Amino acid sequence: MELTVDKLKQMYYDMNLIRRFEEKVDEHSKKGNIPGFIHLSIGQEACQTGVMHALKETDYKFPDHRSHGVCLLAGSPKEKVMAEIFAKKTGLCEGKGGSMHIADVEVGNMGNNAIEGSITASGLGTAYASKYRGEDNVTAVFMGDGTCGRGELHESMNMASNLKVPLIYVLVNNGYAISTRAEEAHAFPEHLSDRAAGYDIPAEVVDGNDVEKVYETMNRAVQRARKGEGPSMIELLTYRWQGHFSGDPASYRPEDEVEKWKEEKCPIKNLREKLEKRDVKPETLDKLEEDALQEVNEMVEFALNSPEPELEDAIKYIYAEKYESMKEGK
Amino acid sequence: MRELKFSQALNEALHQEMERDEDVFVLGQDVGKMGGDFGVTKGLWKKYGEKRVIDTPLSEAAMVGLSNGAAFTGLRPVVEIMFADFITECFDQIVNNAAKAHYMFGGQLTAPMVLRTASGGGFRAAYHHSQNPEAWLMNIPGITVVAPSTPYEAKGLLTASIRSENPIIFFEHKMLYSTSGEVPEEPYTLKLGKAEVKKEGKDVTVIASMKMCEYAMKAAEELADKGVSVEVIDPRTLVPFDRETIFDSVAKTNRVVVAYEAPKTGGYGAEIAGMLNDEMFEFLKAPVKRVASLDSPVAFSPKLEDHIIPEYSQVLDGIKEVIDY
Repeated sequence: MELTVDKLKQMYYDMNLIRRFEEKVDEHSKKGNIPGFIHLSIGQEACQTGVMHALKETDYKFPDHRSHGVCLLAGSPKEKVMAEIFAKKTGLCEGKGGSMHIADVEVGNMGNNAIEGSITASGLGTAYASKYRGEDNVTAVFMGDGTCGRGELHESMNMASNLKVPLIYVLVNNGYAISTRAEEAHAFPEHLSDRAAGYDIPAEVVDGNDVEKVYETMNRAVQRARKGEGPSMIELLTYRWQGHFSGDPASYRPEDEVEKWKEEKCPIKNLREKLEKRDVKPETLDKLEEDALQEVNEMVEFALNSPEPELEDAIKYIYAEKYESMKEGK
Repeated sequence: MRELKFSQALNEALHQEMERDEDVFVLGQDVGKMGGDFGVTKGLWKKYGEKRVIDTPLSEAAMVGLSNGAAFTGLRPVVEIMFADFITECFDQIVNNAAKAHYMFGGQLTAPMVLRTASGGGFRAAYHHSQNPEAWLMNIPGITVVAPSTPYEAKGLLTASIRSENPIIFFEHKMLYSTSGEVPEEPYTLKLGKAEVKKEGKDVTVIASMKMCEYAMKAAEELADKGVSVEVIDPRTLVPFDRETIFDSVAKTNRVVVAYEAPKTGGYGAEIAGMLNDEMFEFLKAPVKRVASLDSPVAFSPKLEDHIIPEYSQVLDGIKEVIDY
């Protein structure tokens, strides 16, 4: 079924929002306004957008290492995503998470974890909880190609298949685990999702830069999971335009490879062309782009003007239930 | 009062908590139709079925990961790691997920899961079925470490652990499973973070948990005949550690022995010695004595294992040394 123009326009806005967001984060990371490691997803916006549009707010989402787009589209107050990355008290996690650890449980964002593979195991638990309670919520775990090397993923797939839980492994294959290409480090490098078959988990490979295809593929996996038919894997073939982290010159990649992806496979440009073919006026699309930039600028303002955590926050939240006999953190 | 074995007391706690709260479920290797390697989960599978009692593959990382994720949604998993040595296989899930989820997400998530595991030597089971890894877990802020020494404590502490909002590592010394003691039939909890003065005394304080507590009690009895009054304290939980009870005791006796089965270096006794040095130095009339294992793997040969792990006589000698200082 073809997506409506309205739905695609929303996706166009969301993809622009992610790109502008990432550009601003990059800028402020380099200016020193954002501490720590930053992993950007410019070029991968269709993966995040297509997948998130196929999910409900009550579904469990575990974002990957390039998490910002998923966090933005989960339904959180978006300025709080930005503030979190800026390590501000007004952030979703009160400034204690940062780019690599952002959750918003209210909207089913269960948090990214900077140990790759870890969430493939904990996602098993939220999926089991849905089944345990007889709810139709599904769990989507985002992961990169590098995660295919982690034992936790294989343990997770084996158990997910056996327990038949509503879990979708969203394998965002951007071709590189930092500097290492799949064929340099993995068996079955052409389609990493081939390994799902070993656990009797159906997998589909799709162009991750085509937001419609991503949406449709994810939607099939989600429907399977909701109907109690068990886990799936979808592999989204894409490319990150930047290095692994903000500031990584990515000298391990051929220049022309990067240019080719930018020129021929830009997910935003591709969607724009499609929308124009479906008679959406260029000025309508320009306006969506401007609005997205405007919204991101407001998020940056909010983050810049927000306070940092207080020193006493260093020992806040170590234990959910307090112990009388413990001087926490001392 | 009726008596139960240590393993039966744990089993009763699981039965009662699963009866009380349908969010409680159990998973682990062979916990279902077999009832667990040490019989702790006996009868649960038959009564509650495979949804609430899951026989898992040999996948500790996924087992604890599943527990964490389920706990994030408010369920209360109790996961059995058959031997404490296998914690290495799920260490990431303990250290980087369970322990930190509440903190790093600004208090949004909690991980109310219990990881039960059999620790300790004496079974001639050697390197990979005998270790005492309490100290590995004590260095992870956010984790609670529970270590019962009697059937009464086993039931009360496990019940409290299941009801706690915090992620808990629950050690069961395998030489204690067949020991017996009085256990009330009704459900009850013992406060986590509260030590128990097992025997009052005035000349020396012995801090000992799990199997070592048995030796400490025996030594107290033997030395009483020789006019030495030994106070025995079982911390019950190693994290949080009940400073107040220990400090009160040390202020009274001025002499301390810590007995633990793990290798001496970096073991929990080292932490207690450090804590007393920091905060109770002026009360001490002798250095804090640590009675612990040699800094060695737990060997296979019975002769070597007995040499490596502290024996009763070493606890006794340690107390005498501190008294005579």
